[in-house]
Amino acid sequence: MSEDDLSAMKKRVARLVYIAAGGKIDEKDLERPDTDLREIGLDSLGYLNLLEGLERTFGVSIDLDQEEDHSFLHTIDNIVCYVTAHRGAPA
Amino acid sequence: MSSILARGAIRDAMVDCLGRHDGRKAVVGAESLAYGELAGRVDNAADWLCAVLPGDEAGRRSRKHLGFCLGNRVEYVILYFAALYAGDLPLLLDANFNTGEIEAIRSDCGLDALLIEPSKAAKIEVPGKGDPIPFADEVVLLPLSQVAPPRFEPRVSTEVCRFTSGTTGRPKCLEFSGHAVVSAAKNWILGTGMRGEDRTLCLAALSNGLAFNTSLLSSFLAGGELHFLKGAPLTRPVARRIEELGITRLVAFPTLYRNFVAPGGPDRAAMASLEHAISAGAPLWPDVREEFRVRYGLDISDYYGIAETGPCTFERDARHHSGLGVPLPGAEIRIAPGPGDPGTGEILVRTASMASGYLNHPGLFEGRLDADGFYHSGDRGRLVDGRLHLVGRTEDHINVAGRKIDPTEVVAVVSALPGVADAVAFPDEDLNREVLVHLAVVAGSADLTRAAVAEACRSRLAPYKVPGRISFVPEIPRTGIGKPRIAVLREQLKASRKESPS
Repeated sequence: MSEDDLSAMKKRVARLVYIAAGGKIDEKDLERPDTDLREIGLDSLGYLNLLEGLERTFGVSIDLDQEEDHSFLHTIDNIVCYVTAHRGAPA
Repeated sequence: MSSILARGAIRDAMVDCLGRHDGRKAVVGAESLAYGELAGRVDNAADWLCAVLPGDEAGRRSRKHLGFCLGNRVEYVILYFAALYAGDLPLLLDANFNTGEIEAIRSDCGLDALLIEPSKAAKIEVPGKGDPIPFADEVVLLPLSQVAPPRFEPRVSTEVCRFTSGTTGRPKCLEFSGHAVVSAAKNWILGTGMRGEDRTLCLAALSNGLAFNTSLLSSFLAGGELHFLKGAPLTRPVARRIEELGITRLVAFPTLYRNFVAPGGPDRAAMASLEHAISAGAPLWPDVREEFRVRYGLDISDYYGIAETGPCTFERDARHHSGLGVPLPGAEIRIAPGPGDPGTGEILVRTASMASGYLNHPGLFEGRLDADGFYHSGDRGRLVDGRLHLVGRTEDHINVAGRKIDPTEVVAVVSALPGVADAVAFPDEDLNREVLVHLAVVAGSADLTRAAVAEACRSRLAPYKVPGRISFVPEIPRTGIGKPRIAVLREQLKASRKESPS
């Protein structure tokens, strides 16, 4: 993936996070890719919306029971890494 | 059969139905148990509880208070009925309660042990915490030695306790008699036409009134199947489960239904077996209800129940697409005359499934009953041709995803911060139309930051109580007697957002 593609992907994921949180979090906080999403207010309902969004946008179905470590969901950077590795055709 | 068989209305009802439906499938989660198998597992678990929480040397065993701090799973069902068989008192906690809330419950109501996931047990830091005793792969019993006698003793008739949000981090403990719990289940079966052929997929937490009353006992009394979903309740796994298992009843919350009707949601064919889609916990958006009906050919039943009274209404008539339906058997509804539209007022409810009272707030429940025993719900509504329509609330509580939050608790936390001159919390909506707590703060010091306010809330409040929005304002408009004028404040905030769109 090129730098441009990666940057575009981060922006799309950041936008999904913002929408998933219902706009409750500051978009400026999302510009820092290492921000812990839990600390800026992404709650359990927001995560539910985010997982729906990731599946519908990137075709990545995340089964939390199959993942030993959920920390990949804590930052935009890590979500992008996960999505890039598991990406399929949009559902 | 367990050597310990305590008397109790719930236990008696369960023993009866486990015997009657032997051979049929009863509960399905990570494992699947037929009624006969469930009966055996409950008996064994009752014996296990008596062994790990024994009586004194003379063999006298007092009623143990067991806090259920678990997500939905087969073991929850087994241990819940096992506790009743063993003569213990299940206290159904919200699995998201923090250590402070658990400690407050222990202090008020007494907790001899928690049934909890091992990872959560490790994080709980309370005095007198014992070593976890494994029950299943993901469930342990965490003994708690009582450091002081509880402040309140439950009524002898109490068979189950559930919780509603309280102020200052002390959840209010509702006591239910076995008769009330069995009545709720039987009237739900009667009022909703539940049958032995029904397969209920329950996505709401069993500690929540919605799931407790519509699924936990009623499904078994009807001889049906109760299904749980492992993992997050996302639309595709839910739809897959519905399709694969022929689920007939879905018990869920508005957000899930909204996600179903969003672009890219599951196909109609996947939902073909579904006969009842039940929503509760928070008001369902009318457009989501309509869109769901168009897409899946099924009207969502917007269940109305109150923690203190149990289930109140249900709509069985497919020709009605608005409102909350008609009173269930055993439920009576009155509208108290009030200001505004004639016929609209506070909803008063009397049911056969009423709570007995608040264990840790004596007199509070009783004070909300009128002379005829009707409970003042705090909700405003009207009856149209016998159908209940909700208009709003008469009280100040904020309902976030079905959890009622007292705004004074949030304000108390923030007001303790240096530099806060005034504050008020009130309900607002996010971009997804989910209700959130909006906190308006008047800074008395230039050093006070949004981050400091947010951190104070996060560190001292349960996650669902943390404000989703924090605004700094020059002052909070108040009435002559000091009551915040929320409508005026909303207008001021709206105007200031227009002035500074960033």
